[in-house]
Amino acid sequence: MSLPNSFPTPPPRTGDRPLSRRRLLSGAAALAGGGLLLGCAPGARNSAEELTYWHLMTGGDGTVMAGLVDAVNAMNAGFRTTQTVLAWGPPYYTKLAMASAGGRAPDLAIMHASRIAGYAPGGLLEPWDLDLLAELGVRESDFPPLVWQKGLYDGQLYSIALDTHPFVLYYNTEHAAKAGVADAIQTMDSPEAFTEVARKLQRVTGKHGLSYGYLGDGSQMWRLFYTFYRQTGAEMKLVPGSPAQVDEAAAVEALSFVRSLLDDTIATRSGDGGTATSEFLHGESGMFFGGVWELPVLKDAKLPFDARPIPTLFGQDAAYADSHTFVLPRQSKVSPERRRHVYQLVAEILKHSVVWAGAGHIPAYQPVVRGSEYQQLKPQSNYAGIPAYVNYDPDAWFGGAGSDFHKYFAENVQNVYLGSGDPAAGFEGFVQRLNKLLDRPQPV
Amino acid sequence: MSTAIDTPTDVAVEVAQGNGSGAARAKRDQTLTGWAFAAPFTVLFVLFLVVPAIYGLYLSFTGETLTGANSGLIGFANYTEALQDPDMWRSLGNTLWFTLLSTIPLVLLSLAFALLVNLGLPGRWLWRLSFFMPYLLASTVVVLFWAWMYNPKLGLINGVLAEFGIAPVAWLQDPNVAMISVVLTTLWWTIGFNFLLYLAALQNIPEQQFEAAAIDGAGKWRQLFSIVIPQLAPTTALIVTLQILASLKVFDQIYMLTNGGPAGSTRSIVQYIYESGFTGYRFGYSSAISYLFFAIIVLVSIAQYKLINRRSAS
Repeated sequence: MSLPNSFPTPPPRTGDRPLSRRRLLSGAAALAGGGLLLGCAPGARNSAEELTYWHLMTGGDGTVMAGLVDAVNAMNAGFRTTQTVLAWGPPYYTKLAMASAGGRAPDLAIMHASRIAGYAPGGLLEPWDLDLLAELGVRESDFPPLVWQKGLYDGQLYSIALDTHPFVLYYNTEHAAKAGVADAIQTMDSPEAFTEVARKLQRVTGKHGLSYGYLGDGSQMWRLFYTFYRQTGAEMKLVPGSPAQVDEAAAVEALSFVRSLLDDTIATRSGDGGTATSEFLHGESGMFFGGVWELPVLKDAKLPFDARPIPTLFGQDAAYADSHTFVLPRQSKVSPERRRHVYQLVAEILKHSVVWAGAGHIPAYQPVVRGSEYQQLKPQSNYAGIPAYVNYDPDAWFGGAGSDFHKYFAENVQNVYLGSGDPAAGFEGFVQRLNKLLDRPQPV
Repeated sequence: MSTAIDTPTDVAVEVAQGNGSGAARAKRDQTLTGWAFAAPFTVLFVLFLVVPAIYGLYLSFTGETLTGANSGLIGFANYTEALQDPDMWRSLGNTLWFTLLSTIPLVLLSLAFALLVNLGLPGRWLWRLSFFMPYLLASTVVVLFWAWMYNPKLGLINGVLAEFGIAPVAWLQDPNVAMISVVLTTLWWTIGFNFLLYLAALQNIPEQQFEAAAIDGAGKWRQLFSIVIPQLAPTTALIVTLQILASLKVFDQIYMLTNGGPAGSTRSIVQYIYESGFTGYRFGYSSAISYLFFAIIVLVSIAQYKLINRRSAS
C-alpha cells in the first residue's frame, strides 16, 4: 500500500533546541520535589478529620447543599467535609457504583431512594447503625412511615431520607382568578374537570392552558404517567425471573389522558423542559406540571403563582416522588471514629433541613416539618402532606431516578405522548423491555 | 525514509568497524538503546492496551458483574445471548446505517470543498478556516449548538422553515428523522479534517501536469477526471479508511443529542456496550458485545486492505 503523499512534511530535524535536556530534567525534578512538599501540607494543616461527601446537586439545590455543608463545618465538631459534586443521572451513579465496587468510595453519598434497589442487594452499600443514629437524635418516628420504609432492604436500613421531592401542579393565580377557576383548581377530581379548568385557562392566556415539558426526557414522562397510573389504584411490581406485574388497562387510561392534554391547545404537543418552564414563566399558560425542584426558578421570576399536589383525578391519592437520601457506600477500610463523624454530619444536616426546604423539597425529618419556620414557607407547606401517600418507582436493580428504566419508558412512550403512537402498543413495548431485563442474568 | 544523523551511536558504530566482536557488541548496544527509547511507550502500551484487551476477552467468557454477583466462567453464554439480543442487532444496524450515511457525504463533500477552495478564490484563508473550524470544537460544544437549533419549538431550523411556510420537523424526536439529524451534525463537525487532507493532497499535484494537459487541449473538467482524481486516489483510500473507522466508533454526539432515542433509533453499538456494562453492571456481557464488534472492525479493515492493495497493484 502506497502511503499518501499528502501529509504535511515533518518539521526539519536540525532546528536549534532552546530547551536543553539537562534543563528540562532538572526542571522536572524540581516540580516533582515541589509536589512532594505540597502533598505533605494538608495533613499538617489541621487535626480535624476530613470527610468526603459525594452528591449530584447542582444549580439552586447545589448552592443550598453547599451552604448546609459549610454550616456544619463551621461548628468545628472535629471534622471537615469536602463535597464532590457530580452530574445528575448516569454520570453520578456509574461513578458511585464503581467507587463502591472498588471499596474506595466516599464516606458519605447522596442517593435517590429509588436507586437503593440497585445498590443494596449487590453489597455496594453498608447499613446504618440504628442505635448510633438514635443517640444523635435520628429515629424511625422522626420520618413519615413510607419514606423511612423505602430505605429498608432485608430488614436493615440502607438509606436515610433528607427529603421527599414529588411532582406537583403549579398554577398562575392571576390567570386562575381571571378564568374563574381559582376554586375549581382546588376541587377538581376527575379528568374531565381538569380538562375543563385547563381549557378555561387557555382562553385567558390565549396560548396554552397547561405547560408540561417531556420531550427527550424519560424521567419527566414517567413522573406524570406514574402519578395517574397509581391514582387508578394500579400497582407495578418487578420480580426477577418472572414477567412484570402491571395493569395494562390502567396504563392505557393514564397514557390516553396525558395524550388528550397534549393537543396543541391545552398544552403543546412537543414541549421539552426548557420550553415548558419558559412558557409558564412568561404567563403563556395557566398551569405547569413540574417537580418541586423547579420552585426556586419560579420564585425568582416574581410570578403570581401557587402550588398544590397533583389533584386526584382517578380515585385514589397518589403522587410520584423520590427522595434524596444519605447512604454509606462500601469502603474496604472503615475507621469507627470517621464513621461516627459521618453520622454526626447527617444528623446535623437533617436538623438544619428547613434550609433545604427553601429549594422546594419536603424535608423528611419531621421535627423540622412541624416547626413554625417550615409551616410558614409558602407554597412548600401546601404540598407537605404528600409523603403520607407517596409512590416511589417500583423496586428493580435497573430502576430509579435517571436510570435505564426511565429511558426505556421514553423509548416506548414518547410517540404516544407526541400523538403518533398507540397507548396500548407503547405500554406493551415498555413491558416487553422490562420482561427482557427481568429474564436475563441478574447482576446484583 | 531514514537520513543519516551524526549521533554518538553512529560514530561509535563507525569506530567499532575495526574488529568483529566489537561490531556485534555495538549492534547489541544499539538494539538496547532502541529498546530503551521505546520502553516508555511499550510499557504504557502493554499496561493500558494489551493487558486490558486480553482481560476483556477473558471477561467475555465470564458472568462478571459490578457487584460480583453471578460472576465466574460461563463459556460462550454471553456470545449466544448477544447473538440473540434484538437490541444488540438493532444497535449494530444503527451503527452501520450511520457509517453509510456519514461516510459518503464526508468523503464527497470534503473533496468538493477542497476543490472549491483550491480554485484560488479571494479570501482563501477564510474559506479554509470556516470549513475547518468546527472540527476544533469539543463534541459537547457542537451538541449544545445543534440541540438548540434542532429544538422543535424554539429552534433556529424550524424557525427558518416556518418563514417559508414549511411545517416544523421534530428533528431529534421523530425516529425517522433523528439519525439524519445526527449525521448532519457530524457532517458539519468533522468534515474539516477530510477537507484538510484533500486540500494538502491537491496542493501536492505538480503544476506541470496541468500545463501539459492544457497544451494537449484538456479543459478543466477533463483535468479534474484525468489528473486530479487519480492523483488523489491514495488520499481517498486513506480518508475512506479513517472515516469508516471513525463512523463505526460513533458515540459522543449521539449520546448527548438523543441518548440513543427516540425509541432506540439512534443507539449505536458503542452506546449499547456502555449501557450493558456501566449502567447495566454486566461487564462480562458488554465485553462479549465489544469482541463481536471488534471482529466486525477487523473484517472491515481486512476487506479494505485487500481492496486497496489490489487497486494499487493493478
